[in-house]
Amino acid sequence: MADYFTARGLPVPKELQRNPLTEWRRTLLVVIAIAVFYVSFKVTDIDTSRANLPYALEVVGKLLHFDFLPPNDPSTSVLFPQNEFETFWDGAFGLMIVTIFLGILGTAFGMVVAIPLSFLGARNIMAGNRVTVAIYVAVRLLFTVIRSIDVLIVVIVGAIIFGLGNAAGVFGIAFHNIGVMGKLYSEAIEGIDAGPVEAITATGASRLQVIWTAVLPQLFNPFVSFTVYRLDTNVRLAQVIGFVGGGGIGQPLFANIQLLRYPQAGTFILLVVITVAAMDFASSQIRKKLA
Amino acid sequence: MAALVSVKDLVKIYPTGTRALDGVSLDFQKGEFIVLIGLSGSGKSTLLRCINRLVDPTSGTVAFDGIDVTRSSGAALRQIRRRIGMIFQQFNLVKRSSVFSNVLAGRLGYRGTWRTILGRPTRHDVALAFENLGRVGIADRAFSRSDALSGGQQQRVGIARALMQEPDLMLADEPVASLDPATSHSVMKYLEEINKKDGITVICSLHFLSLARRYGTRVIALKGGKVAFDGKPAEIDDRRFKEIYGEDAVEVEIGLGLDGAKPTVAADSLDAPALDLRIPPDR
Repeated sequence: MADYFTARGLPVPKELQRNPLTEWRRTLLVVIAIAVFYVSFKVTDIDTSRANLPYALEVVGKLLHFDFLPPNDPSTSVLFPQNEFETFWDGAFGLMIVTIFLGILGTAFGMVVAIPLSFLGARNIMAGNRVTVAIYVAVRLLFTVIRSIDVLIVVIVGAIIFGLGNAAGVFGIAFHNIGVMGKLYSEAIEGIDAGPVEAITATGASRLQVIWTAVLPQLFNPFVSFTVYRLDTNVRLAQVIGFVGGGGIGQPLFANIQLLRYPQAGTFILLVVITVAAMDFASSQIRKKLA
Repeated sequence: MAALVSVKDLVKIYPTGTRALDGVSLDFQKGEFIVLIGLSGSGKSTLLRCINRLVDPTSGTVAFDGIDVTRSSGAALRQIRRRIGMIFQQFNLVKRSSVFSNVLAGRLGYRGTWRTILGRPTRHDVALAFENLGRVGIADRAFSRSDALSGGQQQRVGIARALMQEPDLMLADEPVASLDPATSHSVMKYLEEINKKDGITVICSLHFLSLARRYGTRVIALKGGKVAFDGKPAEIDDRRFKEIYGEDAVEVEIGLGLDGAKPTVAADSLDAPALDLRIPPDR
């Protein structure tokens, strides 16, 4: 492009001039990227020598040979109770339903704590004076710290407090979601139109009246949208918290894999995949309606 | 006669360092229709917002009906605010709420927080809301979502909301800048009516000098945060106009498209892009 200017005897714009420094930097960037990739490989000591493709395919075949398909007897499938001591809720169907409700409970508890906190973590609400700004910074920091602790770690802590089972799982999901939902809600509050707030303030309304009249109506849609999105994510989380003692469908799924009961594990996985797909679809449809 | 609003040595410096107001002293009398003119950034909006303390002035005082607004806070400030109605360029309605609840919101300064949260307006307030909606001619749209209305209608909702306050003073911040010329006149006529019939003092900032001449009883021009002109609308001649808007300014006419007559807009020689005298796009 520079020759368009040189051909006409015009000065070449600065942006088009070849800059050796820029080009050198670009090369350096590529070299660094390759180096990081190589070092990662070395440090993690990735060993692919024991990979066994035929065996892997065999396992996939077993997984896909769900335990309710012949020659297996469908009535003995893990979908249903396995002996006279188990009820419907110990079968995969029952556990899947329980797991969905674990996700719902975790979302609900997280939401109840996150909503009031999110107002304290919204810059536009807290911009009044030094004290409120300090609260804003503290709340946002709290959200970040909570978010940075992974759910599985919180569930392990929950299992220490409540013992293994559903309580630990709900605790883990709820706690983690205070951080995640708090941040999402705070950002929704920060994104509202300030005009109505100004107008209602001008009528002589109190701060609480302003929030009630001008802020809350603007928050309904984004809050519902974010909550539905998190509900979807949390039901997914509820399926893995069982791996670390958080209850739900994850525990038997994990156990069956470890016991090499692949057809049974496959059935659990199938149920999980169907549920996740359905939740995903429902959640995106709802959020599309709200947008 | 004591002035309704008395502004003294008002200075506002924003945290960015902008000197929006640089020693403004003005007295506004009861019953006046004051038009504020001046370029964008001349301090019109800031002056209006200092009167009801949506903006805290850096120094100087504003007295409303003898009460020092700049020293008031809490309940005392809210009692002053409820006597001052305000309408805005972007209407500032709560878009998702109905026209009716937007109008009712004008009454919040008179009512307790619990009544607001429980959503139980008094009978008097409901009757007043319908009366004011009727006055601005949109009673039939009372239960539409407010963002379903046209720009002109939304501004009328804004006026009805302000009237709910039964104000002594109406502040209007560029009330017609987002409206087409014909709608502009209809909104300005409502302001004229509440000024003449209800005796509400109006302070209105405008971009169009023609509107200022047509509706104002007094015109105040701000330039760089200082008062550049204060007098009768007819006194603004070509020389004064150039003083206010700068040497390159060309006056743009916004036709008096009264009563449905087609408005005429002449903006032929508008080659001064630095000036905010552009005709807003039709909505």
